[in-house]
Amino acid sequence: MQLRRQPLSAPRPGDTRPAAQRLAVPLLLLLALQGAAASGEPEDSGWLQDAEPSSRLLSQAARAALHFFNFRAASPSALQVLANVLDGRAWVNQKKEYKFDLVFTTEFYRAEEGEKRLGTCSAQVFFRNDKPRPAVNVTCTQLIKKERRQEEDYQLYKLMKQLKSPLNAVRIPDSHGYIAPSLRPIWNLAFLGSSYVMWQKTTPFLHYFMSQISSVKQWKTNDDAIDFDYTVLLHEFSTQEIIPCRIHLVWYPGKPLKVKYHCQERQTPEEGSGTEEGSAVALTELSNF
Amino acid sequence: MKWILFFGALIGSGICDQETFSGHQVFRINVRNEDEISKLNQLMNSDNLKLDLWKSPSTLGHPADVLVPSFSLREVKSFLEEHGLEYAVTVEDLQIHKEMDFIVKSYPRLVSAVKIGHSFENRLMYVLKFSTGKGRRRPAIWLNAGIHAREWIAPATAIWTARKIACDYGRDLVITSILKKMDIFLLPVANPDGYVYTHTHNRLWRKTRSVNPGSPCIGTDPNRNWNSHFGGAGTSRDPCSDMYHGPRPHSEVEVKLVADFIADHGNFKCFIDLHSYSQLVMYPYGYTTMRAGDADELDTVAQNAANAMASLSGTQYRVGSVGSAIYTSSGNSVDWAYDNGIKYAFIFELRDTGFYAFTLPADQIIPTAQETWLGLKTIMEHVQNSI
Repeated sequence: MQLRRQPLSAPRPGDTRPAAQRLAVPLLLLLALQGAAASGEPEDSGWLQDAEPSSRLLSQAARAALHFFNFRAASPSALQVLANVLDGRAWVNQKKEYKFDLVFTTEFYRAEEGEKRLGTCSAQVFFRNDKPRPAVNVTCTQLIKKERRQEEDYQLYKLMKQLKSPLNAVRIPDSHGYIAPSLRPIWNLAFLGSSYVMWQKTTPFLHYFMSQISSVKQWKTNDDAIDFDYTVLLHEFSTQEIIPCRIHLVWYPGKPLKVKYHCQERQTPEEGSGTEEGSAVALTELSNF
Repeated sequence: MKWILFFGALIGSGICDQETFSGHQVFRINVRNEDEISKLNQLMNSDNLKLDLWKSPSTLGHPADVLVPSFSLREVKSFLEEHGLEYAVTVEDLQIHKEMDFIVKSYPRLVSAVKIGHSFENRLMYVLKFSTGKGRRRPAIWLNAGIHAREWIAPATAIWTARKIACDYGRDLVITSILKKMDIFLLPVANPDGYVYTHTHNRLWRKTRSVNPGSPCIGTDPNRNWNSHFGGAGTSRDPCSDMYHGPRPHSEVEVKLVADFIADHGNFKCFIDLHSYSQLVMYPYGYTTMRAGDADELDTVAQNAANAMASLSGTQYRVGSVGSAIYTSSGNSVDWAYDNGIKYAFIFELRDTGFYAFTLPADQIIPTAQETWLGLKTIMEHVQNSI
């Protein structure tokens, strides 16, 4: 079967590209990609390469990879979001499972303008029918040095330890998009927990954005770690639904994130199940829960 | 700057003073006893807050209306909450209408308000018409905003745009030339019931507020309700879904009023629908990923619009057909417009790309409106040159 690269040519009508994009993929990265892809995979399981994967599909897969990356890094001060997909290949099989090979750029998850540093990631993402979450293999360039990241995490941690449990009927952000500076660390931590959930729930057809923290059930900092129990509203594409998810996480700087969640799915005549649960069994210990 | 202040009555400020927004907000405060009256007086007497009593509580049990300027908003709210005073902030659809009235009063020869009907909950719907010529069927452009209730940046941008058009006519070559040949119709809140609901009950509400017989769920997705491939892919027949297409095409009065107006007029050349979020400039079709006949030209125009928008602050807007750029959606407004002879049909998804999503902060309103204006002008200029 022939392997075909996604051409990085000028925008074609019907295709989706940023209006003023002029990007060159480093040659080494290209060769690495070709090497990885040629290692025998597509020959089995009836994988057919999608010659023209839509930008939306590639972005969706890239986001899933980034959610996983953010979760695994467990660093609320170093969260990254998708900037642009530079290169992407997609395969689908008869079981309608999808595989992706991606190169994409990222930026810091920050509100401040001006700090527009771009990182680069390469990822393989595999959506299987029998597994609820995509399998992700992802490597990213370091946007900030490890020491600085650890220091910022620790500063964030100290700030959070000082926060009184506040937050009873407060939505973050409020209706007008306002996040009080003192609450920003909470927002970042909530996003970290949500990243786990969004990774788990992303499929080739559904992806998510975090809309609002709608309530905080618990904010405990008396032990070493931050124990955070909250409800977040996820905006689901392409159904446009708002999905409330109850998330309970435990975080300590430098340690893997422990998280459990429970999302409320809207019941419809077509859909069978109504709820979805998950916990980070593979990667963390749940002894404290 | 606060969101609700953006729509505040612009008392004293010039209409073309686009940069500073001295918005005000009216608080209706309930005073139930002497103690609360004295607290209210205490509040009114704070010099630095600069509050203005519009309506004093003539008797106990009648509320006081207080005009609160932007910079005092947070303090006033804290004070009221701290002292247990009951209050309500006047809802913004009234303020949008005040804004529209103000524009019409300021530019009576250019702008008029055209009543097109009432929403499901009986809210007045009227459209601003910008026209320099006689004749009821001059070639026309329709600017639609706020069909999805939670996408607040769309009505905000539309209102800013209305003022911009009024101000720049006679000063800016491009808009002056466009208006010499064509009329512009602007509907800032295409779904007023939903919009009010996002202020009073649920910030993330999307649909209309019509009743669905036999279902506990309210509302239809007005952007799946148009008579074009109705009920196709990317919609739901479940009234509880946020993509419910409704019982039949144009079942939603808010959709029917606009569709009928445009169809009766018969000479619209361009239809632009403002939404958020995702930063996209898109064209038909939404019901399929197959290309529309005019896709090449529309793509070029959309690219030019996106380039113009990026030129201001570097904001990147992606371009493509609705079906390929975002997702399949049948029964949407631009498919309907295109299928009804309006070639230049576009939908904008404004800022941002998911960080603030629907709850975009107030300080991004003007930058968003400014860059969107460049995109709109690009499209309108192309339309003008084509007729």
